Amino acid sequence: MSKNFLEINNVTFAASDKNKVSNVSLNIENEGDIICLLGPSGIGKTTILRTIAGLEKIQAGSIVLKNKIISSKDMHIEPEKRNISLSFQDNCLFPHYNVIQNIEFGASRNAKKKKDLSIEEVVKFLHLEHVVNKFPHEISSGEAQRASLARSLLSKPDLLLLDEPLSNIDQSFKEEIQVKLKKILNELKITTIIVTHDSYEAFYLGSKCGIILNSQLRQYDDPYNVYHFPNSVEVVNFLNRGILIPAKVTGENSLENQDLGTIKGNFMKRYPKGSHVQLLLQPEDLEHDDKSNLKLEVVDRKFRGTNFIYTLKTLSNLLIPVFVHSHHIHQHEVDEKFGIKRPINIDHIVCF
Amino acid sequence: MINYKKINVWYLSSFIISIIVAIPIITVFTSFFETTSNYSAILKNTFLYEYIFNSIFLLIGVLILTFFIGVGCAYVVSFYKFPGVNFFKWALILSFAIPAYIYAYSLTAFFENFGTAFTILKNIFGDGDYNSFIPKFDGILGAIISISFSLFGYVYVLTRASFHYQSQNLIELGKNLGFSKRKSFFKIILPSARPAIVAGLSLVAMETLSDFGSVSFFGLSTLTTGIYNAWISFDDLTLANRLAFYLLIFILGLFVLENFSRKKAQYHSPSKSGYKSKSLVPLKGKKSLLAFSFCFLVFFISFLFPVLQMLYWTIIFPKHLVDLNITELFLNTMLLVFLSCCLLISLALISNYGNRVSKSKFLEYLTTFSVSGYAIPGIILAVAFITFVSWFDNAVVSFFELNSIKSIFIGSILGLIFVYFIRFYSLACNGIKSGYLKINYSIDESSYLLGYSKFKTFSKIHLPYLKNSIFLIGILIAIEIIKELPITLIMRPFNFETFATTAYIFASQDLLEAAAAPSLFLILISSGFILVTSKYIIKD
Repeated sequence: MSKNFLEINNVTFAASDKNKVSNVSLNIENEGDIICLLGPSGIGKTTILRTIAGLEKIQAGSIVLKNKIISSKDMHIEPEKRNISLSFQDNCLFPHYNVIQNIEFGASRNAKKKKDLSIEEVVKFLHLEHVVNKFPHEISSGEAQRASLARSLLSKPDLLLLDEPLSNIDQSFKEEIQVKLKKILNELKITTIIVTHDSYEAFYLGSKCGIILNSQLRQYDDPYNVYHFPNSVEVVNFLNRGILIPAKVTGENSLENQDLGTIKGNFMKRYPKGSHVQLLLQPEDLEHDDKSNLKLEVVDRKFRGTNFIYTLKTLSNLLIPVFVHSHHIHQHEVDEKFGIKRPINIDHIVCF
Repeated sequence: MINYKKINVWYLSSFIISIIVAIPIITVFTSFFETTSNYSAILKNTFLYEYIFNSIFLLIGVLILTFFIGVGCAYVVSFYKFPGVNFFKWALILSFAIPAYIYAYSLTAFFENFGTAFTILKNIFGDGDYNSFIPKFDGILGAIISISFSLFGYVYVLTRASFHYQSQNLIELGKNLGFSKRKSFFKIILPSARPAIVAGLSLVAMETLSDFGSVSFFGLSTLTTGIYNAWISFDDLTLANRLAFYLLIFILGLFVLENFSRKKAQYHSPSKSGYKSKSLVPLKGKKSLLAFSFCFLVFFISFLFPVLQMLYWTIIFPKHLVDLNITELFLNTMLLVFLSCCLLISLALISNYGNRVSKSKFLEYLTTFSVSGYAIPGIILAVAFITFVSWFDNAVVSFFELNSIKSIFIGSILGLIFVYFIRFYSLACNGIKSGYLKINYSIDESSYLLGYSKFKTFSKIHLPYLKNSIFLIGILIAIEIIKELPITLIMRPFNFETFATTAYIFASQDLLEAAAAPSLFLILISSGFILVTSKYIIKD
């Protein structure tokens, strides 16, 4: 008997020959856990959700929910009998019912279950008060998406599947909704799988993140590890936060790069002294120091509100991103020189 | 070919319905495996070419006339503002209420020697030899005019809908490229409405080729009358079916030709965001008068003229009106309408939902094949049904030594409704299908994921959504059944008459003045139904 809440055992999710994710195995251990699936567009993330929901069948492997096989080659429980709710990315409200009637469709499911959440509460937290009597064609795509989310939340499913739930929502509401959504999901212990292409959203909402690349689940881990300890070059490139630079291992805790000099830190994996590696260098790994003698040329500067991201060019033409707090008094213009604090210390060194 | 995993109650229901509707097509096709009488050889050497020539000539004439009238009216009311434009938008569809055969009666009655035109001239100018210069619209010319003014509504309604949804962006794009109004019309407006125009013309073509009432009234020999003669005069059902098959192939050929010529071109704006509503161009002076006159002329000729002619006769020959049992005719007509609507809509809904749920290509092809029976003339459907029931009675019922079923299905309301069902199934099926096309499949999925079964999804989500489509289709079926003639004539029980059959019987006895009252009632009832649906027809 399985102790996991959800088990996906060696399943290939395929909507077509091109659009498939092969041999996926992952577990959700506890009821109420939230996991996020990240990956580029068209990779098959939605197909995974549709298959778990029962809208697609599988040819091999099995999906087990609460110790019961819901999908396998020989067994397919119909979607309406799974008590799994899927909130689609596109507006899937019933066009001939108004917003509140659509939401009530969700609330009427499992109506006998103890009511932890009222329609009014959900409508309020998703800022839908002003559109409850409108029809789907009269509201914006963001409002429709929130209404669809409300309907799914109120249906009290065993497993909630959210496909890009906040993609059409205004930036002004987005963070507030993220916070409240996470709070509600945790309080009601609704086990949730969220598909998103926004890594910040995934890192915030998910207790675990799955990275889907090249038709495979490449990494399934908690967000901190996914960010700091990516397990492949593909994951590094997908997250697009840092760069890989050539370096030579010079000791147990050090490496050497011809432009940046010595870099110290704890290796996450042992490499023989003298071996040549690709070092993952992330924007927060380097510190700005005007007095340093290691000066690099600024080729670009992006203002991101809380910080600047400088792109620096080394002598061997590597382009390195560096974060600087936006309150930093001394701003550097393009073509100016930018000092890097030496020696460079990185908490955990990730190489490939 | 058949995926057995997809078979469920919905699939089976849909499959059975499609097979039943396909019976006449299969019957028509099997005629090639049976021998025909000597009449076949005689026909080949004598009248066959005349039938084909007349059918083609009639078809070309009707298509040209309906194209100009339908597209012309649709263009004027869609792009320009002039006095009465809002009235003409719906008034022009009233021509649907006039069956071609009643139009033919009116045309003959008005222009014949000493007819209504003669009486009017005599009353105005006194006695004279007016008959020599009053034009005579009989033969093929009469048939072309009668059918065209009765059917141009198909082209008008579909083209107007297409013009209505043409985005202002498209027209502004033409202006941006320096196109004149004339060039915009021929290069942008007309080509983008092409599928709608072709769809309208296709319906006109099918109705023309299967028309029986007006061509037989004018004594014109076409493939349809040839089919009728082969069956009635020479008792050669096989040959009748073969002729029907040629007719079917001819119509399908037209479809294929149009599809090939269109290739992969898209004719509609792919997204909602690309749509911008049009601003109508106000017309002044002569142009305004010209637009008004054109629309009024079409409205007058297509609707007012036959109505006034029938009204005139009804008034001057009141005896025929008094003799007419209006209540009985009305109740008989409505009974047929009610039963047919219930049967057609229920089964079209089940079939469409079966197709949607099973997602079976095989079922989809079967349904498409079965609805192509719309092109088969009503006479052939009735005959094929009688043949099938006779065969079934002789081969199956007799074998089990049961009571004959002939009296249950032949010359009965049940049999009549059954043939109506086969005849108008494509109307119901395609209507429901176009309603279903507007429901994204993810709506069904959302419903399943909220715990709704397939039946509940159908009853709680689909039916409320489709209620407008169902209502509209019900009315369209009603109009068709009120006007329907050959099937009702052949299949009706003894002494069971409708307005259509009563009018036809009087007209066939050369008692046109007696046919006026039932014709007038037929037109009034149809017009009532059309007025109810005008806002939907104009919109969709």
